[in-house]
Amino acid sequence: MLTTALIVVPFAAALFLWLFPLPREYASAFAILASLVEVGLWIGGAIRFDFSGGLQFSARHNWFSDLGVSYHVGFYGFSLWLAGLTVVVCACSIGYGVWAGREHPRAYFGLMLFLTGSVVGVFASQDLLLFYAFFEAMLIPLYVLVGVWGGPNRVRATVMFVIYTMVGSLLMLASIVAFGISQHTFSLVDSGTSGNNWIFLGFALAFAVKAPLFPFHGWIRQAYTEASPEVAAVLSGVVSKAAVFGFIMIVLPHFPGPVHDFRTTILVLAAIGLAYGSVLAFRQPDIRGVIAYSSLGQMSLIILGVFASSSLGIDGAVLQSVTHGLVSAAMFLLAGMVERQWGTGEFARLGGAAKGRPVLTTMLLVAGMFTLAVPGSANFAGEFLILAGVFPLGWGYAAVGAVAMVLAAMYTLRVLSAVLHDRKSDAPDVSSADLRFGQLALVVPLVACLLALSVWPNAVSGHSFSRTPNLAIFQYVHAGPFQTGQVHMAGK
Amino acid sequence: MIAAAWLCLLAPLAGALAITFGGQRLSRRAAGWLSTASVFVAFGGAVVAFFAMVGRDTAAQRSELSTPFTWLSAGTFHVGMSILVDPVSIVMMLVVSGVGGLIVLYSIGYMEGEDEERRYFAYMAFFVFAMLLLVEGGNLLLLLAGWGLVGLASYLLIGFYHQRPEAVAAAKKAFIMNAIGDATMALGFFLLIAKTGTLSYGASFAAAPHLSSTTVNLVALGLLGGAVAKSAQLPLQTWLPDAMEGPTPVSALIHAATMVTAGVYLIVRTHPIFEQAHHVEDLAAGLGAATLVIAGLIALVQNDIKRVIAYSTMSQIGYMFLGAGLGAYANAMFHLVTHAFFKALLFLAAGVIIHHLAGEQDIRQMGGLKKFMPKTWLVFLVGSLSLVGVPPFSGFWSKDAIVATALARGGIYGWILFVAALFGALLTGIYTFRLFFRVFYGEPSALVLEHAGAAHGDHGHGTESATGHSEHAHGEAPQTMALPVAILAVLSTVGGLLQVAGAWHPFGRWIAQTGAPLVEPTTSQDWIVSVITVAIGLTGSWVAWAIYRTGRLAVPSAPGLQRLFEHKFYFDELYDAVVSRPAQLVASRLRTDFEGPYVEGSLVEIGHAGGDAGGLVARLQTGRLRVYAFAIAASLVVLGIVFLAVR
Amino acid sequence: MMGPSVPWYLFVAGALFGIGTLGVLLRRSPLIVLLSLEIMLNGSNLALVTFSRHFGTVDGQVFAIAVMAVAASEVCVGLGLIVAVARKKLALDVDLFSELRG
Repeated sequence: MLTTALIVVPFAAALFLWLFPLPREYASAFAILASLVEVGLWIGGAIRFDFSGGLQFSARHNWFSDLGVSYHVGFYGFSLWLAGLTVVVCACSIGYGVWAGREHPRAYFGLMLFLTGSVVGVFASQDLLLFYAFFEAMLIPLYVLVGVWGGPNRVRATVMFVIYTMVGSLLMLASIVAFGISQHTFSLVDSGTSGNNWIFLGFALAFAVKAPLFPFHGWIRQAYTEASPEVAAVLSGVVSKAAVFGFIMIVLPHFPGPVHDFRTTILVLAAIGLAYGSVLAFRQPDIRGVIAYSSLGQMSLIILGVFASSSLGIDGAVLQSVTHGLVSAAMFLLAGMVERQWGTGEFARLGGAAKGRPVLTTMLLVAGMFTLAVPGSANFAGEFLILAGVFPLGWGYAAVGAVAMVLAAMYTLRVLSAVLHDRKSDAPDVSSADLRFGQLALVVPLVACLLALSVWPNAVSGHSFSRTPNLAIFQYVHAGPFQTGQVHMAGK
Repeated sequence: MIAAAWLCLLAPLAGALAITFGGQRLSRRAAGWLSTASVFVAFGGAVVAFFAMVGRDTAAQRSELSTPFTWLSAGTFHVGMSILVDPVSIVMMLVVSGVGGLIVLYSIGYMEGEDEERRYFAYMAFFVFAMLLLVEGGNLLLLLAGWGLVGLASYLLIGFYHQRPEAVAAAKKAFIMNAIGDATMALGFFLLIAKTGTLSYGASFAAAPHLSSTTVNLVALGLLGGAVAKSAQLPLQTWLPDAMEGPTPVSALIHAATMVTAGVYLIVRTHPIFEQAHHVEDLAAGLGAATLVIAGLIALVQNDIKRVIAYSTMSQIGYMFLGAGLGAYANAMFHLVTHAFFKALLFLAAGVIIHHLAGEQDIRQMGGLKKFMPKTWLVFLVGSLSLVGVPPFSGFWSKDAIVATALARGGIYGWILFVAALFGALLTGIYTFRLFFRVFYGEPSALVLEHAGAAHGDHGHGTESATGHSEHAHGEAPQTMALPVAILAVLSTVGGLLQVAGAWHPFGRWIAQTGAPLVEPTTSQDWIVSVITVAIGLTGSWVAWAIYRTGRLAVPSAPGLQRLFEHKFYFDELYDAVVSRPAQLVASRLRTDFEGPYVEGSLVEIGHAGGDAGGLVARLQTGRLRVYAFAIAASLVVLGIVFLAVR
Repeated sequence: MMGPSVPWYLFVAGALFGIGTLGVLLRRSPLIVLLSLEIMLNGSNLALVTFSRHFGTVDGQVFAIAVMAVAASEVCVGLGLIVAVARKKLALDVDLFSELRG
C-alpha cells in the first residue's frame, strides 16, 4: 500500500497540475507540497521497515496473467534507500525550479513530479515489464525537460541523450521478452537464472548507457551541461541509479554464469571509467563539466562495487549510490545558483566569490569536501568499502581507485578555488548578495543528509544486504570469493 | 575515564558547530572565547582521563576501548565508532588539547580585527576535534577519518587569507600531497582487510605476526606513505614550507605542534605491524635521517622567519621518525611532546614579532629587535636553546635520547643514521642562531624603527613608562598573546624533566605500556651522546654567531650550493616536470583528441545516420489515411500469405 | 442445426469485410468511407455470431454486441466530424486531409 502510494502520489499530482489551470503560485506550492508528502511517506515507511526482512510493503496484482506479468511492487533494504534518495533529491530539485521561476510552471512541475513517480516506480518494481515501463517512463519527462527548458544547445543534448538511451532500452526490451518467455514469468521474484549471454548483454548494455559506464558515456557532457541545473541534479543523482538498481536486482541474481564470464570485462571498463572520468574532470572549463565527469568516475566506482561480488563491494555500492546522488545533486544546484548570479559557469570568468559571501562559501566547501570524499565523510566510507571489496579480485582496481582519490582532490579543489578564490581580471564584477534563506533551504537538506550519513554511514551500508544474508535472490552476492578467501581472525 | 575522553573529543566539535550556526549573532570576540573555552574543556577532559588512568594499576586496565555504535559495516566486516584511551593516546590528547588551547587563546589577540574572524575560530576548533579524533580513534579506519579531517582543517586554515593566490595555492598543494598519503594508507588498509578481515587495532595487530612478509611489508609501506605525507618527510615534504601562508597561530598549532607529528603517532600506534616489517622500519628511520639533514640545509638560506622555523620543524620530525623507525617509541613520543612545546613557542614568538611589524616576515627587514622587544627576545632565546638542545632545556633531553638510540642500534646503518643525526644537530645550531642573531641583533632596520616609534606613540609609552604595566604597552603583545607564550616558555624550559637519561624514566615507562622499545641505549651511550651533541650544537651556534652577527646572510663562497638550497633541492620543479605537467597534458589530450572526436563524435554519427534513414522513411508518410490503411491491409495480406506458405 | 453450414456464413462475412475494405481504401468521400467501415464491422459481427452458434457459447454474441456499441459511438463521432467539416464549407474529400504528415 505504501509503495503504491509512493508511486501514485506524484503521478496523480502531475495529472492534477496538467488538468487544472492553477496560477503560478498555487502550482508551485502544490508541486512542493506533493514532493514533501512524498518525503513524508518515505520517512513513514523507513521507520516501519524491518531491515532484517526481505521484500516489504509489497503489493501484487495480476496484470496479464497469461504472460505472467503482474503489477508487483515492494522494497528491499537497498531499494528503500534508493527511493529515499529519489524523493529527497526530487523535492530539492522541484524547490529549485520554483526558486528559479521556470516558464510554464504547470507543465514543468507536472513533468518533474512525473519523473519522480517513474523513478520511484523503477526502484519499487518487482516485475520485469513493470520495470521496463517505469524505466521508459523516466525518459519522457527528461526528453521534454531537457529539450524545452534546457540551454542553448539543448536540442543536440536531447537528441544525443535520447537516441543513446533508447538504443539501450530497446535492446533491453528484447532481452526482457526473451527472458520472460523462457522463464514463463516476468516476475523478478519467481523467475530463475539464465545462462544466455545475449540476454545478459542486452540488459548490461542498457544499464551501461544509463549509468554511464565507459565508453558509453558520450551523452553525459551535453546532457549535464545543457539541462537546467535541477534536471541535471535529478539526472545524475537519481536517474543514473536506476542502472545500479538494474544491475543489482536483475543482472546479478538472474545471470550468474554470464556475470562470472563478463565480470573482468566490466570491472576493467569501470576502472578505466573511474580513471578516465577523474582525469577529464580535471581539465573541464566549467563547473558542470567537472561535475559531469566526476559523476562518470563515481558511477564507475559504484559499478566496481556492484561487480566486486563481495558484501563489502555491494554494500559500499549502495552507500556510494546514496551519497553520490546527494552530493552531485547538491553540486549541480549550487552550480546553478552560481551560474544565475554570475551569468556563466566558466572558470575563466568566475572567481573571488568567497569575499563577503560566507554562506555560499561554506556550502560550496562542504559539498566540495563530500565530492572529493575526504576521509571521514560518508562518501569516503562508501568508496572505502567498494575498493576494499574489489581488492581481492585484483589490487589494480584498488590502485586505480587510490589514484582517483587523489585526482578527485585535484579537480574538486580546482573548482573551489576557481569559483571562490582566484580573482580573474575579466571576471564580471558581480555585487550580488550571499545565498538567501530560500536558496539555503534547497541545498541544506542534501548537505544535512550527507552530514548525518557521515556520522553514521552504517545506516545505509549495514542496512542493505548485511542483515539479510539468506535472501534467495541475493545468494550470489554473499557467495563471492571474499568470504571464502578470508582468514578470519578471532576476537576483537 | 571514558566519559572524560568523549568529552575531550566532542567539546571542540560542539564549539565549532556553535560558532558556525551562531554566525552573525555571535560577536567576533565571543567566537574567539567560545573556541578557546571549548578546547580548554577538552583539555580538562584529557586531564581527568589522565588522572583516572594513573589511578589504575596494570597496562591492560589502562587501555580502554569504548564503542557506542557501529560506524560502518558490510557483511562480516565491522568498524565501530570507537575511541581508545591508552597511555599513548592520552599523551597525545594532553598535548593536542593543552597546546591547542594555548594557541587558540593566543589567536584571540593575534587575529584581532581580522576579517572573517569567526570563520577562523570555527576552523580552529574543528581542527582540534579532528586531531583528537585521529589520536583517540579506536581503529585504523577512524584514525584515517581523523587523518583526512585534519588535512581538511589544514587546507581551510592555510587558505584562510583567500584573497592571496599564494595562500590558496599552498592550501591546495598541502591537501593534494596529503591526499596521496591518504590513498597509500587506504591501499594498505585494503590489503589488511583482505588478509585479516578487520581494521580494529587489537585483531589486526594480533594477526600481524601470522601474515606473510610481503603482505606486512606492503601494509607498513602504505602506512608509512600516509605518515610521510602528513609529517612532511621526504619525498612528500614540499607542502609544509608553503603552508606558512596561513596565519601564524595556525602554523604553530597545525604545522608544528600537532598535525605534522601525526605521522610519528601513527608509527608508534601501529608498531606491531612495523615491527614485522623490518625493511620498512629501516626505511622510515632512513627517510627521517635524510629529511633532517636536507631540511636543515635548506633552512640555512631561507629568509622568511616562518619558513626557517618550518624547515626546522621538518628537520625535528625527521628526528622523531628516526627514533620511531628504530623502535624507540618512548623517545620519539618524548621528542614529539617537547617539540610541541618549544616549536609552538618559537612560532608564537615569531607571531608576536610579525604582529608587531605589521605582517612583515622577511628577516632581512628585521634586526636589532632585542632593544624593542626584550620579552620576546627572552622567550625566543629559550625556544632556540631548546631547539638546539642545550641543557637543561627540554629539547636537550629528548633529542639526545633519539641520537643515542641511533648509536645503540649499531651496525653500518646505525652509524650512518647516527652521523646524519649529529650533522643535523650541527645544522640546527647554525640555522637557529642565524635566525636569532639576525632578528634580534645588529642595527635596527628602518622598518623596525618605524614600528617601534608607532608603538610608542600609540600607547603613550613616553609618559607612562614608570608603571610596571607599561611593559605590555611596549608594543610587544596583548595579554591574550603574552600568557600562552609565557606558559609555553616555562614548559619548554622544564618539560624535558619528564625523563632524564639514565636516571629517571617515567615517560619511557608510561609509553612502554603501549609499545616496548626495541632498542635502548645504555647509560654510558646516553652520556657520551649528550656530551657530543651539546658540543656540536654549541659549535653550530658559534658558527652562526661568527657569520651572522655582522649581518652577512649568505653561506659564503658556494653559490652553486646556495642555489641548490634556495631551490629546496629542486623538489618542486621535479614534481612539476614529472607529475604535474604530464598529467595535465594527458588530461588535455584525452579531452581534445579522444573524448571529443570518438566518444561524443560517434554519438553524433549515430544521430546523423538515424536522421538520414528517418528522412527516407518520412517520404512514405503522405498524410493520407487511405494510404496508411492500405499499407496495413497490404501487410496483413502479405503476412497471411507468409503464414500460409510457411505451413 | 438449421440453414446453411458454417462456411457459407463465413463466405458472406468475408465478402462483406472485403467490400468494406475496398470501400475504405478506394472511395474519397468521408461519408462513404464511414459507411464502408460499418460494412466491415458487420462482416466481422457476422463471423462472430456464426462461431458463437457453432460452438454453442455466448462469447461471440457478447462480442458482437460490444462491436455494435462501438460502431454506434464511432458513427456518432464520425458523422459529427463530417457535419463539422461540411459546415466549414470544405470539400468532402479524405485525400485533402493530410495534416497527419505534420
